[in-house]
Amino acid sequence: MKTNSRRQGPTLWGNYLPIAIFCVVVALISYFIGDVRYTQRVLLLILIWAAASSCFNIISGYGGQTVFGFMMFIGAGAYTSVLLFKFLGISPWLGIVIGAIIACAIALFIGLPTLRLRGAFFAMTTMAFPLIAYALLCNVGLEEVTIPYAGPNPGSLHFADTRHYVLLALVLLSVILVIIRWIETSRFGFSLKALKQNETAAEGIGIDTYKTKLMAFMLSAFLGGIIGTIYAFSILLVITVHSAFGLFIIVRILAFACIGGLSTLWGPVVGAAILVPIGEYLNSKFGGSYPGLQDIIYGVALIVAIIYMPEGIWGKVLKALRRPAEKLAGSVKPIRAEASDVPNIDKQERAEPFKFEQIEPKTREKRNGSILKIEGVSKSFGGVMALKNLDIAVPRGKVLGIIGPNGSGKTTLFNVIHGYLRPEKGRIFFEGEGTTHLKPHTLCRLGIGRTFQVPQIFHNMTVVENIMVGAFANDGNVAKARAVSEKVAMRMGLGSRIHDYAVGLNAWETKMVEFGRAVATQPKLLLVDEPMAGLNPEETHRIGELIKAIANSGVTVIVIEHVVQSLVKIADVMVGLDQGQKVAEGTPGEVTSNPHMIEAYLGPKWRERYAKT
Amino acid sequence: MESLLQIIVSGVLVGMSYAVLAAGLALIFGVMKIVNFAHASFAVLAMYIPAFWFLQWWGVNPFISSVIALPLFFVLGYLTQRVLIERVMGKPESEMSTLIITMGLSFLIDNLILTAWTGAPRIINEPYTTGTWLVGSILINHAQTYSFFISIVIIGGLFLFLNKTMIGKGIKAAADNPGSCAYMGINLRFVYGIAFALGIATTAAGGCLMATYRSFNPFYEESIVVILFACVVLGGMTSIMGSLIGGLIIGMIQQVSALLFTISIQNVAIFAIFALFLYIRPQGILGKKERMV
Repeated sequence: MKTNSRRQGPTLWGNYLPIAIFCVVVALISYFIGDVRYTQRVLLLILIWAAASSCFNIISGYGGQTVFGFMMFIGAGAYTSVLLFKFLGISPWLGIVIGAIIACAIALFIGLPTLRLRGAFFAMTTMAFPLIAYALLCNVGLEEVTIPYAGPNPGSLHFADTRHYVLLALVLLSVILVIIRWIETSRFGFSLKALKQNETAAEGIGIDTYKTKLMAFMLSAFLGGIIGTIYAFSILLVITVHSAFGLFIIVRILAFACIGGLSTLWGPVVGAAILVPIGEYLNSKFGGSYPGLQDIIYGVALIVAIIYMPEGIWGKVLKALRRPAEKLAGSVKPIRAEASDVPNIDKQERAEPFKFEQIEPKTREKRNGSILKIEGVSKSFGGVMALKNLDIAVPRGKVLGIIGPNGSGKTTLFNVIHGYLRPEKGRIFFEGEGTTHLKPHTLCRLGIGRTFQVPQIFHNMTVVENIMVGAFANDGNVAKARAVSEKVAMRMGLGSRIHDYAVGLNAWETKMVEFGRAVATQPKLLLVDEPMAGLNPEETHRIGELIKAIANSGVTVIVIEHVVQSLVKIADVMVGLDQGQKVAEGTPGEVTSNPHMIEAYLGPKWRERYAKT
Repeated sequence: MESLLQIIVSGVLVGMSYAVLAAGLALIFGVMKIVNFAHASFAVLAMYIPAFWFLQWWGVNPFISSVIALPLFFVLGYLTQRVLIERVMGKPESEMSTLIITMGLSFLIDNLILTAWTGAPRIINEPYTTGTWLVGSILINHAQTYSFFISIVIIGGLFLFLNKTMIGKGIKAAADNPGSCAYMGINLRFVYGIAFALGIATTAAGGCLMATYRSFNPFYEESIVVILFACVVLGGMTSIMGSLIGGLIIGMIQQVSALLFTISIQNVAIFAIFALFLYIRPQGILGKKERMV
């Protein structure tokens, strides 16, 4: 396997050098333009809007939580520092910090309840808050506040030369870009990307989605608060509720981010650099006679961007740059179907034969007894009892097979064990500790892994990135996680697909990514939900081998499966469920010959066929 | 006691005006699973044309304009769906992209109104605008009362259309399971177009009615869009009856808070209750909790 250095995560220089160059170039441009007020003002507007749009990009681009009320934070920062300066004489330099802290606190207050909501609900709810601020400020007579001006004085953020404002905004933008670059390459960024694509899966592999979203939200708000102060002091002479909390702010921020490219580092900067000059030109030319013309441009830009290039200009550039490299790394050769007992003969081949090596489990202690105990668990949906007073003890280091007709509560049982659902009655003990009310991400960190009935992978991440998100459950170090994940990907037979996006994988490869991701979290207990559904006989055999190999390395595995003849080959013990109740328990032979199971699920013909094989 | 009765009466009148605006939003969300951010902008557009300008130019009574608005905005809504929204539906993250695209559209409409007819606040000044009846000690505004009854007719008509006609049944089926509808030979694009058009037509009629007793400006949309969304959410997102109840609750909250606080912050109570409500019961009053995974 050749390693492609560009993909190994760029170096420090590669990460931050472009930002430094950008900073120096813009500073020089501004310096040589000279103190031409109008041109410098347009430059300043570009930088401020680019900065605001970049902050929005953290929570809404990378995190996927579109905050329509983002102007709340800009307005909070602006109003705080202006009011402090006007009425208490506090320097705006201190006001920047206080304003940012207040914006951050407001984000905590808004985020705590609303971040539980999803998609459009979240977006619309956040919009209510700037409207509340708008109305309250009007009510106390602060509809507009004049910023006191007593001549140029750097201490009160009043510069004679507009270039100083440009420099200030430029430094701020560069800091924000550095922060975003850091996020992109850190565990935090991976968590954000993952939860944006699939919150259920992200939660299941150890990401505290709620906390991660809240952190990103507060970070965005903090930086937005800083921008608010600089925006107020450099652009506005009179701050009004409309200029600080108006809907036009979020429309512009969205337009810049969408035209340039959401969830890309340079997208918002590119968007602002293109749209702001057009808007300002139109405003200076026609603003007197047609006041709405400038904003029409932003509305149109937003529509055009979403319809014709949802990835944005910078996203398109990145795609064009990436394409040749991708062809090189991505082999179309399918994984060869070889059983695990065939030795690895051709190491030269890009497509590794499928062979699962042992993984290192978290603990190798060979304690006896059960790893998981379920006591009297009941769960109902409306009037339907999905689980009825269920008791199961899962022996350590064994493969437990669960069978039962559709609707017998198998997947519900997994959801209850893994914290996605709360049982109404009963208790669950994992490793002797009560885990009944823990959340999936906590349970993952304790050592419960999971694969889903319908594979839940992160489509817009590469194979190795998918697995890395799992590896982060143990270690936040990116380089280490990458190394572990590459190893896991090889073991899963995904060596040739390692840098391909998961969206293009076939059903088998998708399953392997999900298994790899679960294995990378180093679970003690792995919950596997119908792994054989939709696979051909050869693949069914291979997945059985894989599960056995995982179990041999010391991991306890619970498998739900309808392909009973394959399940009995790998299961050490089995449980039969019917209508939420345990009706059979014991060795595979005992359970499959249980009269109730034959009656309710297997059918009388099963016995004859099974007896033959 | 009388003030309580007054609150109930004006709450119902105001609430009904929100309900008719929100009904279309609920219809669109219920069928297409998208939040139409531009909904209120269409209502404001209808306040200008036909309600305000038809009266100025040709002396058309705004109540008649509300009927004229139905076919006009039906066509406009159908075109909006087919030209803009259809292009992003069904793609990944379509929930957000439709929300953003309608936000762009909303901003576009607002600023087109501003560019065409300036930002001056407008008011329709006719005898019924301020005229009142005195029933006991309760004041009842003429325009609001006429609007109330016309709103009931509009919502009732919408209800009948959805339940009694073939297209209406197609719309309801598409809301339930678009995949099977496509297999059954229902043209989803057409059905979505009709649903969106109906939603916009209803809201436009509601806008005309509201214009008869409220002053408005090109950015009036900003102050009602979240209120309409709140009505729909309170009503459980998808049902027209739900948004009717939601509208009446919002109207009541507004009137009660007007009694307790000054007029300028009466919407704060609505937004606060709305935010609180989403936290406690995101599925709405009538909505059911969905089973997960």
